[in-house]
Amino acid sequence: MLYMINKSPLSASNLSSVLRIAPQGAPILLYEDGVYAAIPGARSEALVREALAHHPLYALDADLEARGIGQVIEGIQVIGYEGFVELVEQHNVVPWL
Amino acid sequence: MSNKVVVLMRKAPYGSVYTAEAFRSIMGIAVFELDISVLFVDDGVYALVKGQNPAKLEMKPLGEAFPMLADVQVQELYVHDESLAERGLRPEDLVMEVKVVSSTQVAQILEGADKVLPF
Repeated sequence: MLYMINKSPLSASNLSSVLRIAPQGAPILLYEDGVYAAIPGARSEALVREALAHHPLYALDADLEARGIGQVIEGIQVIGYEGFVELVEQHNVVPWL
Repeated sequence: MSNKVVVLMRKAPYGSVYTAEAFRSIMGIAVFELDISVLFVDDGVYALVKGQNPAKLEMKPLGEAFPMLADVQVQELYVHDESLAERGLRPEDLVMEVKVVSSTQVAQILEGADKVLPF
């Protein structure tokens, strides 16, 4: 399953909630306000590093660019809409709204 | 037709329209006799707490609607154990008997779905 997160990690607990459910290795996609988790140095960075230890973590470029996020935590894979479509083709999705 | 649907409930009732809309969707899906499970995680577990009375909000009580789902053959209701415990709730605080499941079981239920409907 592809776990999808669209809320900021500083105002919602979606990321930590996913991390206690998603099995080791399950991919996680950050999109919409979820991409704020990708910012290095934010309070959420430790949580993101924990996620990266167990899951492939993706962030959608359009949402990063829209929000002026030019740099992401090392290990996060920035993908475009094509990559997004590939992920959705490969996995059933669990939108963690 | 094998089309297993899991309705994922993660929001508290009343504060948003999610719980009520999820219930409407569940009823709609049940009409088509699809294989449906309802999974309560995080604040979603509040939807099942006993004693809800939103009369002063001029809303209908949502909790007591869920036991009625059995009448339309929706019988697979699961509640995440940690979500319940961290809110100081026990299974006996809920409006009905549900299957209490671990994080691993939650993941397995999601894994077994053809479609996950998030609310």
